[in-house]
Amino acid sequence: MTFFTIVTRGLMRRPVRTGLTLAGISIGIAAVVALVGMAWGYEKSIGKQLDVIGIDMIVSNMTGGIMPKTFDASVEDKIAQLPKIKETTSLLMQLISVEDAPMIMVSGRKWGGFTWHQLKVVEGRMIKDEHEPAVVLGRLAAEVLKKKVGDTVQLDSDELNVVGIVDGGSVVENGAIILSLAVMQKVTLNEGKVNFIDIRLQPGTDKDAVTETAAEIKKIFPEGRAVKASEVVGTSQGFRVARAMSWSTSILAITVGILGVMNTMLMTVFERTHEIGILLAVGWRRQRVMLMVLCESALLGLLGGILGVILGAAGLMIMETTPAIKGLLEPDLSPRLLIISVIIAVVVGLISGLYPAWRSSRLSPAVAIQS
Amino acid sequence: MKLVPFLTAMVGGLLFSTAAMSADAPGAAELAAKLSDLQQDGSTFIRVKMIVSSPANPSDPKTTLQLQIKSRRSAGQTDVVYQVLFPKERKGEAVLISSSGNGATFTPPDKLQTFDAAKFKESLLGSDLSYEDVSDNFFAWKDQSLAGTETVSNVSCQILESKPKGARSSYTSVKSWIDTKRMVPLRVEKYGAGGQLVRRIDTSDVANVDGRNVLAMLVIRRPGHATATEMDGSRIKRGVAYTDADFTAEGLKNLSGPKGGE
Repeated sequence: MTFFTIVTRGLMRRPVRTGLTLAGISIGIAAVVALVGMAWGYEKSIGKQLDVIGIDMIVSNMTGGIMPKTFDASVEDKIAQLPKIKETTSLLMQLISVEDAPMIMVSGRKWGGFTWHQLKVVEGRMIKDEHEPAVVLGRLAAEVLKKKVGDTVQLDSDELNVVGIVDGGSVVENGAIILSLAVMQKVTLNEGKVNFIDIRLQPGTDKDAVTETAAEIKKIFPEGRAVKASEVVGTSQGFRVARAMSWSTSILAITVGILGVMNTMLMTVFERTHEIGILLAVGWRRQRVMLMVLCESALLGLLGGILGVILGAAGLMIMETTPAIKGLLEPDLSPRLLIISVIIAVVVGLISGLYPAWRSSRLSPAVAIQS
Repeated sequence: MKLVPFLTAMVGGLLFSTAAMSADAPGAAELAAKLSDLQQDGSTFIRVKMIVSSPANPSDPKTTLQLQIKSRRSAGQTDVVYQVLFPKERKGEAVLISSSGNGATFTPPDKLQTFDAAKFKESLLGSDLSYEDVSDNFFAWKDQSLAGTETVSNVSCQILESKPKGARSSYTSVKSWIDTKRMVPLRVEKYGAGGQLVRRIDTSDVANVDGRNVLAMLVIRRPGHATATEMDGSRIKRGVAYTDADFTAEGLKNLSGPKGGE
């Protein structure tokens, strides 16, 4: 009988208890996968959107809440004069409850700006000019709103024609209603206002020059802030809160898992006092007994982790299709998350096994055999 | 997760917003006066989604309306216009309610009707609110008393009881559960003759917009009625410019939003 056989036999001796413990760990790990996957997915979606459009810096005034406050569109002209800036464009983006659908991102873009370039028309046509009372819908937005080319969509009191369906290359773009800035300003009663300026820097602009440019922008627009595209996610309070919430909920779930495994391993040690006594009597060193218990708990963690990853991934896939999430989030199911989740499960197993392992190593062979 | 920056309030006297402030257990009159002052927030323009559903029969179809609300409020007068933007078949439907006791309704293409205070108990656009609910300011009533404290949504609230005493109202009293830190009501109960509960308004979300606390989401229920109305504020602009014409029966036909405001 090998060491591994002893380990697996220990777990198989009480299949129901082992199964229930596995269920406990796997639910905890599934929560990690689902919650963290959502948070990471959201971050990744934003990052992907910025990459696809080719934005280096974003200027906004984030004091207004989740969406930045509006400011005068003329700020863009002043920023465009700065030496390291190659190109700028401005947007007015708002989360709006459209018709009977949930909140949806509506993105008004300066006509001719580079944020239009990555949009690929998959059906219908692009908006003709900046004054055409029309929108194009991201693929997911069209699904959520149940609209097709030729329909109309009502934004505030205006009915706008849906002239095209577009693929924007990211879930954020695909989940948005896109129209010209001029029409957006008119419809939302924000004439002359924007809430984002997107910036492309001169090629080869180094880190110091970027910091310098951000400082110059702060002088031009003291209420606003220029953030490097790569830092948008990291500096956003909303993202930080989402990340903290997902991890704190996950930690709770993991704690429950730890307690479950610890309970199972303690019970195992108590039930196998006699067996452990014999192993010690036939020459097993205490460290080897400890290792056996730790291996059992780690194996529980590993199996629970694998099961949890499968459950979590399935849960995410189902959640992704729900109307509340569809088009807004693209969960992250990267190998990195899945591997981290399994590692967490194994670590959980090991931590849970520490006390039972210590208890087992403290047994006296003579007393244990008699028990 | 509903992510929304912008939001609104509407309880009892209607949509109102309050500046972020705190109060250390003020007396009833003081508390009511503060709330009343905060409710007189000048000219505002608000966008709201209103859903009328039937919780008892979830399979019944829901009615979803997108509304815009134009209001101007001062110490002596409140004028409010509700205009339907969605669905298409009801677009343009509008109601004007004035605290002076009159109002008008408009149904496109050209049906314009005026009404007086006798109709103030009627339902607002098929919801669980009445015309009176959106024009009254019960915090301005003279008879105010504190009726204890109670925790609502994990927030300790002062219960303020307001009685019309001379003011025109179909209610005999209104109890409001006030979060005195944020100065917003988290629950309002309106009682009719005989002391029976007529309407209950629960605040399900409070948002802070530019330093002002606004009730972002409300649910209105009427005991004995199958429906419930959810009002979800999506945008608020304060300090907008209205003309007197906007608050006339003819003005109901104008769906354009106001100029200016923040």
